[in-house]
Amino acid sequence: MALSRRNLLRNGWKACGGLLASAAAWTTWELLRPLTTNAAGGKIKVGSAADFAAGTATYVREGRFWLANADGHLFALSQKCPHLGCRVPFCESSGRFECPCHGSTFDIGGEWIEGPSPRGMDRHPVSVDGDILVVDTDKKITGPDHGAKAFFSPAKGPSCREGS
Amino acid sequence: MSDVLPDKAQPAPERDALEPDVYPVREGIFARVRHTETWRSVFRHPHLDTPRGRALQSFSNVFLHIYPVKVPARVLRFRYSWRLGYIAAVLFGILVVTGVYLMFFYTPSVTSAYGDMQQLRTGVGFGQLVRNVHRWSAHLMVLVVVAHLVRVFLAGAYKRPRQFNWVVGLGLLVITLIFSFTGYLLPWDQLSYWAVTVGTNLVDYVPVIGNLLSGLLIGGEQIGQATLVRFYALHVAVLPGALGLLLMVHIWRVRKDGFAVKRGGIGAFSEGASEVAMDPPVPAETAMAETAVVTEDGRRVRLLGVVDRESVTAEERLTDDTVFTWPHMLVRHVVVGLGVAATVLALGVAFAAPLKDIANPNLTPEPAKAPWYFVGLQELLNHFDPLVAGILVPTGVLAVLAVLPYIDRNPATEARNRKVAISAFVIILVLAVVLTVVGLAFRGPGWKFVPPWDHNYIEM
Repeated sequence: MALSRRNLLRNGWKACGGLLASAAAWTTWELLRPLTTNAAGGKIKVGSAADFAAGTATYVREGRFWLANADGHLFALSQKCPHLGCRVPFCESSGRFECPCHGSTFDIGGEWIEGPSPRGMDRHPVSVDGDILVVDTDKKITGPDHGAKAFFSPAKGPSCREGS
Repeated sequence: MSDVLPDKAQPAPERDALEPDVYPVREGIFARVRHTETWRSVFRHPHLDTPRGRALQSFSNVFLHIYPVKVPARVLRFRYSWRLGYIAAVLFGILVVTGVYLMFFYTPSVTSAYGDMQQLRTGVGFGQLVRNVHRWSAHLMVLVVVAHLVRVFLAGAYKRPRQFNWVVGLGLLVITLIFSFTGYLLPWDQLSYWAVTVGTNLVDYVPVIGNLLSGLLIGGEQIGQATLVRFYALHVAVLPGALGLLLMVHIWRVRKDGFAVKRGGIGAFSEGASEVAMDPPVPAETAMAETAVVTEDGRRVRLLGVVDRESVTAEERLTDDTVFTWPHMLVRHVVVGLGVAATVLALGVAFAAPLKDIANPNLTPEPAKAPWYFVGLQELLNHFDPLVAGILVPTGVLAVLAVLPYIDRNPATEARNRKVAISAFVIILVLAVVLTVVGLAFRGPGWKFVPPWDHNYIEM
């Protein structure tokens, strides 16, 4: 195609149209991208490691996670089920996490035992600042795969689910 | 001017001179009003019960102009289309009207949305009824749009030349689903909160960009104020515009692509007039043997060649089976429209739209189900890998449906000549219905199998 004035102008208009479309896409993205202020809430101090006895899980409301002590290993487990986002409660009687929505069950370390969840519960990194545990809820570690059985133990007692 | 174009320079004749019978002078006050310039500036011509009058009725009215002036008589039969597309459009109209009413009483804020719903129920005259009608119409619209798709498929009406309109219709189905889904969250009760939680988490299973997509959709990590405003804006502004625009294209294309009407002897719903062979062809050697013949009027003619049989054809004479849209089609549409309105009104009077406790992110109900049109997907997710159930199956089905009119080269429209297409479609349809019914009615806490006669976990 020869570079005539007509072609130059025609392609110029197309280029302008493309630029305009990119500007619109960029603006839309900046306006609609997920708000960071809606995230779980930064770094959260949860107290001393001694406060969390082995085999227990404590709910930390401001960070929407469970602090679980699995045989001395402390995990901050996101309450959001990896399956479809239901809140996973800890069942005291069985000593396991049992999702009421679709029947996914996790051990005290958040590892998958049964149900439709594609993996174990997601975790937040835990660090120690002096004596105080700090959980960084802005970061998320994808939960362990189905094979992980490091903290598996038989159910302590009856399940908390209705009808089972 | 008049030198150049003498023919066209004639002054336009007065309207009454052109149509002396159009405004017959009659006695009485109304006749005189109809004669005024004001009246005639609004209504260009009176109702005339003649073919010309009926055509003028369509030409000069912007709303009637949606319709063609005449339609094939077969289109009038209810069983031609079951009026499903039209019913869906009527439901959309009802949803717009009731939706605007609801907007007067609703604020998209997590602190006030639920209270607004309660106020609507107890403190606003007919508030509960309008909400009921809105909800049942929305559910019905999803159902009718799907039925429309099934019907068009079974009739083979998506085939040439209507391929693109089928794709447009598919877009309308997707918009309808998003429409219903965004509206689902707005009451901000436990049912809406967790159904939308489960629904948006399905998006997380999209490979690579899943988290980004669900983040864009809900505006953060979990459903909250950002989500509510987003869904509200989509529901009352973006989606009505998108659906209205696409619906215009859809209806326009119905007219321009022609109605799917059975014609002539060959395949039903074929595009134009059929062709039929005239006389049996003369065998070539016989014809060539007598190279010169004398015709009846004494001229000598010579046969120079013999053409193939196929081209010795004549167009079958088309009988004019069309009727005027006004009033034949219009009367039927008014009747069906009133029937739809009566149905949703009766549903609204009989059944209240649910309103559970206020949304509580820390209390998951047992079980948490997606809205009914997505619950089949949720059930599928229970049996298969998320990548398969959440992504490959739904996008695969949509993609195959979208390219279907272009890959289905079989011109036949009768079921007996489309055994493969029809059986494949019916199998997928039955699977989808079974999954939906199981997920909707047969699943209890922990997604365990609970028949509805033991305990009813159906939520609409």
